[in-house]
Amino acid sequence: MSAVANATSRPRRNVVWGKIGSYVFLFVLAAIYLGPLLMLVNTSLKTTRTFNRNATAPAVEMNFGNFAEAWEKANFPQYLLNSALYATTATAIFVVTSVFVAFPIARGYVRYAGLLFTLYVIALFLPPALIPQFQLILRLGLYNNPIGYILLFIVNPIGMVILVNYMKTIPRELDEAAALDGCGYFRFVWSIVVPLIRPAIATVVVLHAIGIWNELILPTIYLTNKDYYPITRGLIVFQGVYGSNWPLLAAAVLMLTLPMVVLFLVLQRYIVSGLTAGAVKG
Amino acid sequence: MYHFGRGRARWVPYLLLLPGVLAYFIMAVGPSLATTVFSFTDASGLPNAPVNWVGLDNYEEFLFLGQAARDNLNAVGRTLVFCFFVTTIQFALGLVVAIILNQKLRGRNFFRTLYFMPVILGAVIQGLIWTLFLYPLGGPLAQILGTFGLRSEFLGGPPTEAFAWVIVVQIWANMGVTMIIFLAGLQTISEEYYEAARIDGANAWQVFTNVTWPLLTPSVNTNLLLNIIGSLQAWQLFLVLIGYRNGTQVLGYLIYATGFGQTSGSVTSSFRQGYAAAASIVMFVMVLVIGLTVQYFLRRREERLVG
Repeated sequence: MSAVANATSRPRRNVVWGKIGSYVFLFVLAAIYLGPLLMLVNTSLKTTRTFNRNATAPAVEMNFGNFAEAWEKANFPQYLLNSALYATTATAIFVVTSVFVAFPIARGYVRYAGLLFTLYVIALFLPPALIPQFQLILRLGLYNNPIGYILLFIVNPIGMVILVNYMKTIPRELDEAAALDGCGYFRFVWSIVVPLIRPAIATVVVLHAIGIWNELILPTIYLTNKDYYPITRGLIVFQGVYGSNWPLLAAAVLMLTLPMVVLFLVLQRYIVSGLTAGAVKG
Repeated sequence: MYHFGRGRARWVPYLLLLPGVLAYFIMAVGPSLATTVFSFTDASGLPNAPVNWVGLDNYEEFLFLGQAARDNLNAVGRTLVFCFFVTTIQFALGLVVAIILNQKLRGRNFFRTLYFMPVILGAVIQGLIWTLFLYPLGGPLAQILGTFGLRSEFLGGPPTEAFAWVIVVQIWANMGVTMIIFLAGLQTISEEYYEAARIDGANAWQVFTNVTWPLLTPSVNTNLLLNIIGSLQAWQLFLVLIGYRNGTQVLGYLIYATGFGQTSGSVTSSFRQGYAAAASIVMFVMVLVIGLTVQYFLRRREERLVG
């Protein structure tokens, strides 16, 4: 009798300890993830004087003036507008053109569909395109030009793979039925397939737009005119000028972090499904 | 079978496909392959400058000529070190976190969201947040060190230390992706396997090695390859956190610096794009060799598990 009781209570005690251990681990890790953010919020509310005296003391002074000052000094509205313009234009071009590439690949409606698809799949392994791409844009006379900059983002092989894989789940009978009803190819893809693959399109749009929004290297290379800077480049320039004024810089960073966090909370589903696409099946 | 007409109508899908495929070839595949050609020239980044064929000169200079070549090889070595630490730690941490968060725990959605959040912020914000967190004059970590009577310059310290901090931030920034991919894999493992193992009296470790780990193979493969290739090519955080500093450069940063000009101490490199293309090819070979080797072993492992 007692032997049975022992046998059942030992695993249970292990489970309890496992739970406690799990929580300890999660909270320690959470501190590493929250710590830098809390420091950012706290610093943004301090004055330079109190920051220099004690960088980590709680910001009891609640100096919200940093936000107004950073906003005023940094030309953020212009940068944000540029970033939004680049992200929306390039994403729209990419998605519209890609739908008409992905569908015939998924169906095998064009020759060499398999080969073409492989070219998208192996993109990760191709040599970096950085240098010839620059030479191309330079020779087209599109250096330091928003159009040239947007051209850099009109392709996305991973996005294409996601679209193709999702389209493969649409039953083929649909094509036949639509064609019998006299629906043309363009209209079929545009007004029947596109609405059906909306989840995949949302995922691709979100991933692609965030990639453009966060891009730092390409604007540094391609855009020299301050009026064309996206927000990432603008923030780095701001850091170069006000880098020693941490409360001001922290306010600027926080203003650009918060919308991303909110956006992330809203769009989380699509981001996660985009990143895990293909991971489960290999 | 194509249903939407014959004859001339058969060309419609080709016509509609053309813009997207042309864009892909002109903006991505073409430039990617042209990197090889450029690596044999003395192309510069200046408009209208003549481009001459120089054969293998760029490779010879990159790999064998004097101090610069030694610096380059050091950067290659550093890239491998970066890749090794980022991959192993991020992989292990992501796996542990995913397994813990796959249990029924209170607040697990909060933790998932929190750990994943940096991914969305991008290198600039990630880098600036950590520059502040590592503020050497009384920042949080400086104070913690101070209580032990220690001090550090963190990102401004000796190259090795600054380099190590970039590894930390890189893992902090991207662990969420690894975790999410593992979580997706864990959710495909049927509860029945765990129950069967428990009925057989397996302990937690045995359940992990005999059920979770083998059935997680697709996510393991994806994560390993993504982490390895990603960390071999990553360098944005170096730019934001420490800049182009001797003793910290990795190959990706070197390519950018030689191709697009970057001052480092007293040395100002010019726009040497042919040379940078040769460095790109070195990186490509590295990614290919390591990627294919890992893939080969992953395949063999998978066959062993299935067969």
